[in-house]
Amino acid sequence: MLNQEPRGRTLPVLISLIVVGVLLMTFDVRSQGEGVVAAVRTGTQTLIAPLQKAASYVVNPVTDMIDSLSNVTNLREENAILRGELADSKAALIAVQDQLARLEFFEQLYEMESAGDDIGRTVANVIGRPDAFDAALIIDKGTSDGLLVGQPVVDTNGYAVGIVKSVTRGSATIVPITADRQALTVIVGDQVGSLLSQVVSSLMRLEILDAREPVLAGERVVTSAQSVSFPAGVPVGLIAEDAAPIIDTLISTVEPFVNPDTLRLVVVLAWPPDPISIIVDDTIVPEQTTTTTTTEGSTTTSGDGG
Amino acid sequence: MRIPKSLAIATMLLLAVVIQTTLFGQLRVVAPDLVMLVVILFALTRTRAEIVLVTAFGAGLLVDLIGSSLLGLRAIVFTAVAYAALRTKERAGIGRFTTAIWVGALTLLGVILLVLVGTLFGQSSLLGPDVGTRLLVVPIANLILAAVFAPVVVRVIDGDATALRFT
Repeated sequence: MLNQEPRGRTLPVLISLIVVGVLLMTFDVRSQGEGVVAAVRTGTQTLIAPLQKAASYVVNPVTDMIDSLSNVTNLREENAILRGELADSKAALIAVQDQLARLEFFEQLYEMESAGDDIGRTVANVIGRPDAFDAALIIDKGTSDGLLVGQPVVDTNGYAVGIVKSVTRGSATIVPITADRQALTVIVGDQVGSLLSQVVSSLMRLEILDAREPVLAGERVVTSAQSVSFPAGVPVGLIAEDAAPIIDTLISTVEPFVNPDTLRLVVVLAWPPDPISIIVDDTIVPEQTTTTTTTEGSTTTSGDGG
Repeated sequence: MRIPKSLAIATMLLLAVVIQTTLFGQLRVVAPDLVMLVVILFALTRTRAEIVLVTAFGAGLLVDLIGSSLLGLRAIVFTAVAYAALRTKERAGIGRFTTAIWVGALTLLGVILLVLVGTLFGQSSLLGPDVGTRLLVVPIANLILAAVFAPVVVRVIDGDATALRFT
């Protein structure tokens, strides 16, 4: 069975390395991934990021081709549906343009200034993931593009994706909300609750501690103004099942809008604009209904609200 | 010209990390653990056992540093898998099929250890919605890759064109 030959220092080396590993894990848990650990992580990612970007440049066409081949049977059907949606969207766009023109007219009439949405947005490509068991996303934008640790990330439709966990000069790592150990403060109707990831499930657990009324399947869950990690009003998902309060606590599940595994493009929000504003923030990020399509050289836009 | 062993090992590991995080990071359906595969295959080379263990630890640490999970988690797992590989490697050299099965079994051990140790240290994100599928897909993908690439990896590291030549 096992090789019984004497292995010299193999066993002591194994034990020493496992002890070092356990110490590192304990240190990382105790320091909550900050301090020295964060510095070493950033340093390593800075060294690896250029190689990942170069490899991504080469492998992206390959992955696109494989994706296309695997979806070839659905493409015709999808095209027909998309043509129909495009026609509807064009009609809706004309209606919105008409409303915008009227709004501009009234703003001029009453000498109002648009408050606008002054959250900066950085569009980034997802260039990779660490491995099959790590849900984090690696993107091709970093501090040189204005990204900071803790900034919220949404997809091209404006749905919540996750938080920037670490950032180097040219890349960043995002932890999706579905894999984050920290709860996200959300609002359903007018009730504020916490959203947590669950093990062995794509659904998230919703807890409302001072619940007054039931929640119904299909109700929208958006980020709350009390959230310290997202601006208010970012869509997160839909209630998956009806639930009523028991005494004053309500527990339900939420199906997130975004599946991080399928993301190829994300938008990092420069939020909060300054650390003090987080306390009084009431900015609502409008949900976007268009899909951004960019090539390898992704763009950085600021304050257009989309 | 013979490539220095340390350079060959470092290059191979770096290549595995980059391909793992880019190509296989985007193709979620095909999900081998390339770094674990390379670590297991190191055990088949004529590299000293202690160096194989230290290399496995370093490779795991590198993957930990690139990702978002606990620092040291993969370092421990890869070291344990490398030790198991060193202790059983005589069983692997019989043929291409046996080597592939051996790699698949060690990868299965590795991913189970990863989930268990990670869960003990509060890494619940390792238990994602399709953890069961991944526990099977990763070893199978590594098994297939090992059947194809095991001899090449061993020959490059040992600098011996006759190494792991199955009859």
